[in-house]
Amino acid sequence: MIQTIDSGKCVGCGLCAAKCPLDVLRVRAGKAVIAYPDDCMTCYICERSCPQGAIFVHPFKEAAPPVLPGILEFLSTRDGRPS
Amino acid sequence: MDWKQVPETVLRTDVLIIGGGAAGMWAAKRLKENDPGLDVLMVDKGPESWGGLMRLAGGDFAAVLPGESVDDWVKDVVYYWDGLCEQDVMEDIFSQSYDRLLDYKNLGCEFLEDENGNLRGVPQRGLDHCRLYPAKLKGTGGQNMAEAMVKEMVRLGVRRMSRTLVTDLVKDGDRVIGAVGFHSITGEYYIFQARAVIVACGNASWKPGYNSNTSTGEWVDMCFQAGVELRNFETLTVMNAPKLFFWEGQAIYLALGGRFVNALGEPFMDKYSPVLGANTDNNYITRAMAIEIRNGRGPIYLDLSQIKPEDMVFVKPQTGNQMMNYEKLLAEGIDFFHDKNIEFIPQVQLTLGGAATAPDGGTGVEGLYVCGRSRSLDYVYMGGFGLSSTAITGYITGNAVADYLRTASAGREVSVGEAAGLKEKLYSPMGDAGLTPKQVLIKVQNLMSHYDVCLLKSAESLTAALGELDRLRTEELPRMYAADPHYLLKYKEVEGIFLLTELYLRASLLRQESRGSHYRLDYPKRNDKDFLGWIVQRQGADGSVVQRVKPVPLARYKHPVDRFYSDNFTF
Ligand SMILES: Cc1cc2nc3c(=O)[nH]c(=O)nc-3n(C[C@H](O)[C@H](O)[C@H](O)COP(=O)(O)OP(=O)(O)OC[C@H]3O[C@@H](n4cnc5c(N)ncnc54)[C@H](O)[C@@H]3O)c2cc1C
Repeated sequence: MIQTIDSGKCVGCGLCAAKCPLDVLRVRAGKAVIAYPDDCMTCYICERSCPQGAIFVHPFKEAAPPVLPGILEFLSTRDGRPS
Repeated sequence: MDWKQVPETVLRTDVLIIGGGAAGMWAAKRLKENDPGLDVLMVDKGPESWGGLMRLAGGDFAAVLPGESVDDWVKDVVYYWDGLCEQDVMEDIFSQSYDRLLDYKNLGCEFLEDENGNLRGVPQRGLDHCRLYPAKLKGTGGQNMAEAMVKEMVRLGVRRMSRTLVTDLVKDGDRVIGAVGFHSITGEYYIFQARAVIVACGNASWKPGYNSNTSTGEWVDMCFQAGVELRNFETLTVMNAPKLFFWEGQAIYLALGGRFVNALGEPFMDKYSPVLGANTDNNYITRAMAIEIRNGRGPIYLDLSQIKPEDMVFVKPQTGNQMMNYEKLLAEGIDFFHDKNIEFIPQVQLTLGGAATAPDGGTGVEGLYVCGRSRSLDYVYMGGFGLSSTAITGYITGNAVADYLRTASAGREVSVGEAAGLKEKLYSPMGDAGLTPKQVLIKVQNLMSHYDVCLLKSAESLTAALGELDRLRTEELPRMYAADPHYLLKYKEVEGIFLLTELYLRASLLRQESRGSHYRLDYPKRNDKDFLGWIVQRQGADGSVVQRVKPVPLARYKHPVDRFYSDNFTF
């Protein structure tokens, strides 16, 4: 997931924002900002396109949904389940 | 802001292409090559010059080389798909595969070759004939293809719009006349007036990882409402994914000796399929993973120690995002090729379900065509078929639409009333309180990921999942809101995922047998008498899902259906 944009290094060229497949980044007041961090899919396109080396994307992705328990068990044990 | 006052623009074109991925670009290319005078407008919700998922793809391409037999490939997939193969269509598709590979080569995309200039192929899924051909350098194959095709779009004068989501098709009787959509940054409303529309929106996915930027079910919803027949929604790609990070390339490393082991160190696939072992489709592996984990033998790890050193050229990233990923993981102390404790889990990605079309991509709706991964062909995925099927079906549909437009009359204009009604509906979720699209998305993703919903299905678990989906639809979906146009796009994606999930669950319930990636614990055997056919779903008069089984027309086909890939497994 995207972690940081070094605003000292960022020159506000906007390449990262233009290329992000998910519109995670925007340029505000002349600097790139992480506007929608939740949408990052860890593709590194922003980091690879930054001419200043200002962006760091961590290789870990967002947590994947669990396969266990099965749905029957899940529904029967869920707190506050409306009957 | 009053969203009723948002600016709107009418855009007129001969052909509206929804989706600028591989399939959309191939269709556009053929349209322009057939008739340079046609106005072609390609609209994509992604960034400018994106090129779809191909930009992230490895670049592996499935093709029948000169001198090989197309019939052999068709027989392979009849067997691999447990009989659910349109044999005549696949014969036509495979027979064009090498031409498209050559097209990519001529556009400057390089494939891996030996010292004599022969392509180096990797056999797929333990099949006798089907192979994929990897890009020369591992890591940027797909990116090179995307960039080459974007250049073609510029050269041919295809008009393109980015960050724009198409949300509804507009019909006049049985004919499509246009569509509407909006810009996901400015919020501007668009009315598209088109003589023909091509849906090239990719597979419908549950937005896992790299598939986050493609379609969920927006196009499924549009096609469903337009009356298009949809099929194969009971199939899924449930990938074996590293738990913590991304790694691409299963199609190759499993074919070359990679295998999964359980917590006891056992290569468990040998037990479920002594013939194929781990050299098979991901869905059979993730089914086995689920059984292993459920029975207390998890977690599951990847073991690459059996890959021959000379084959590592196929496996090791050399450039691009794959190389960056590899190096970043090394920096975190994770060595993908040597660590023995990299945990893998099953992860629901997408369905192979899509539009059931005529061979040229035509739907029952005049002027409406579907190509690429939005058109359902394969019943179980095969490495390299994404890039080859999108080039081939995009090419075919581009030709067909150019042909259609030679005689098609002009449709009527989208009326002011139609456009205004759709506009009001579109912006109605704008607000500032309630549930975010992501909050609701996670609930649907979680619902799908239960092992007894995506892998080991039963009437009981599927019915429970439908009930839970219904609860989310009535209790949570109405509370979902969009704070700005960016979130309105996410909102529409999540809305689409509800129909997608319903189509998956209903088709899975109807298919009371096991076939391909579809496995029912309560019907673990194949039942050819009742189910050697496609499950076709469409919208009924009251808006509900109408289903039927369309039998495979065996009498019309060249090859007998007497070998079944799933017979290699015992679960
Ligand atoms: C990481 C990765 C690696 C892969 N590697 C390979 C490989 O090596 N070989 C192979 O054969 N396949 C591979 N694939 C699969 C292959 O990339 C895809 O099957 C193929 O690119 C799909 O092309 P498409 O045009 O059908 O769909 P997509 O590429 O998904 O394109 C659809 C486009 O439509 C847009 N869109 C969707 N809905 C709308 C809407 N309503 N309005 C506007 N725009 C919309 C999307 O933004 C997208 O750009 C890989 C996939 C991934 C993710």
